[in-house]
Amino acid sequence: MRSIEPAGPRDEDLLRRVGAGDEQAFRELFSRYAAVAHALAFRLVRQAQVAEEIVQEAFLAVWRNPDRYDGARGSVRSWLMGTVHHRAVDAVRREQAQRRRIEQAAGLGPGIVEDPIDEVLAAIDLPRERKLVRSALGELPDEQREVIERMYFEGLSQSQIAERTGLPLGTVKSRTLLAMRRLRAAIGEDSR
Amino acid sequence: MIRDHALIDELLAARALDGLDDHDAAVLERELATHGDCDECRRLETQHAEVAGMLAFALDPRPVSDEMADRILSQSRTELTTTDPAAPAAAAPPDALAARRDARLVRWQAAFGVAAAVALVLAIILATDAGGPNVPGSVVVAFDGDAPGEVALTYTPGEAGALLWATGLPDPGPGNVYEVWMFEGDQPVRSACLTPDDGAVAAYLDADLSSAELMAVTVESAACPDAPTTDPVFTAELDTSIQ
Repeated sequence: MRSIEPAGPRDEDLLRRVGAGDEQAFRELFSRYAAVAHALAFRLVRQAQVAEEIVQEAFLAVWRNPDRYDGARGSVRSWLMGTVHHRAVDAVRREQAQRRRIEQAAGLGPGIVEDPIDEVLAAIDLPRERKLVRSALGELPDEQREVIERMYFEGLSQSQIAERTGLPLGTVKSRTLLAMRRLRAAIGEDSR
Repeated sequence: MIRDHALIDELLAARALDGLDDHDAAVLERELATHGDCDECRRLETQHAEVAGMLAFALDPRPVSDEMADRILSQSRTELTTTDPAAPAAAAPPDALAARRDARLVRWQAAFGVAAAVALVLAIILATDAGGPNVPGSVVVAFDGDAPGEVALTYTPGEAGALLWATGLPDPGPGNVYEVWMFEGDQPVRSACLTPDDGAVAAYLDADLSSAELMAVTVESAACPDAPTTDPVFTAELDTSIQ
């Protein structure tokens, strides 16, 4: 077990105060996680304006409905990042569907997909949690890391990954689960 | 009874990463329903969600403008002011969020592709012909939900009819549709059964929302039952003070 909660009030306490309309608590939560949320959204959608809008919508949802957080289902920050990730992946898939239609209409194949792994792992001067997560990712076997990368940081579904890599879908599924188990062991089951 | 969680574990791992395909999402829902109130299922779900959420922290933070928090709070205040029943409708300030969502609708139309955009235009035409709401000046309500996709509704308080549109919806599964409900208290009233086209839907709801407090979307059989048989995948609260 590792605890990498930021110093200061606990996230859960801040969220409770947000539920009572405490703007200062909201600003504190925002300042803790908006930049990471923005990085995540931008990593997926690759468009600054859309990424900003996703972050804004996600935090607006937090401000309006903080009681959607269920403490029994994980930490506040994982819930927050999950919310941002859902929204960003939705945007990516809409854009993918549109691009697919255009490519089909133009008789083009899928574009070249850049390998994002080095970009994610290249790091200096890391805060503790980033170091921990990057280290956990770095310790994954390459084939498992690739699946996690494409799924989480590119927004691809398992069948899309199978299609792009030529791997059997069953292999993609088993690599996903193995990778998640390894990550859980490395990051900690409860990093709150 | 000891249950096997291997399949659920595998599917929950992918769902936590938003990588589950529609078919597998349906399989997962079925498996979870079979397991019922299952502590082990919840434990696995929490574990995977926690790990997935932490992956975001591998990225270098991307600073956001300090003004974004101000904008969020001020948007919320604007909405409250706009929906304040004491405020005269004509003098109400423009609803910044609604305006932004109207702009987003334009982008959604671009993202939908031609077929769905045509469907949306048809829905608006139908609404207009039926004496329904015009989009400008109407209230726009975004649905919340844990499922992928976005759903929104626009209507004019005091007038019958509403436009509903959605994007990025997963396939509801073979033989299933999305069913839209409006709730008056605890009483569900069926509004429409919808089948998405490539995840997108645009539809005119011939319904009177004046007494509705809540809208919900469930996945139902294509028979369109008279009452919901599954939990909502999207919900939206309506502000009854402006109906």
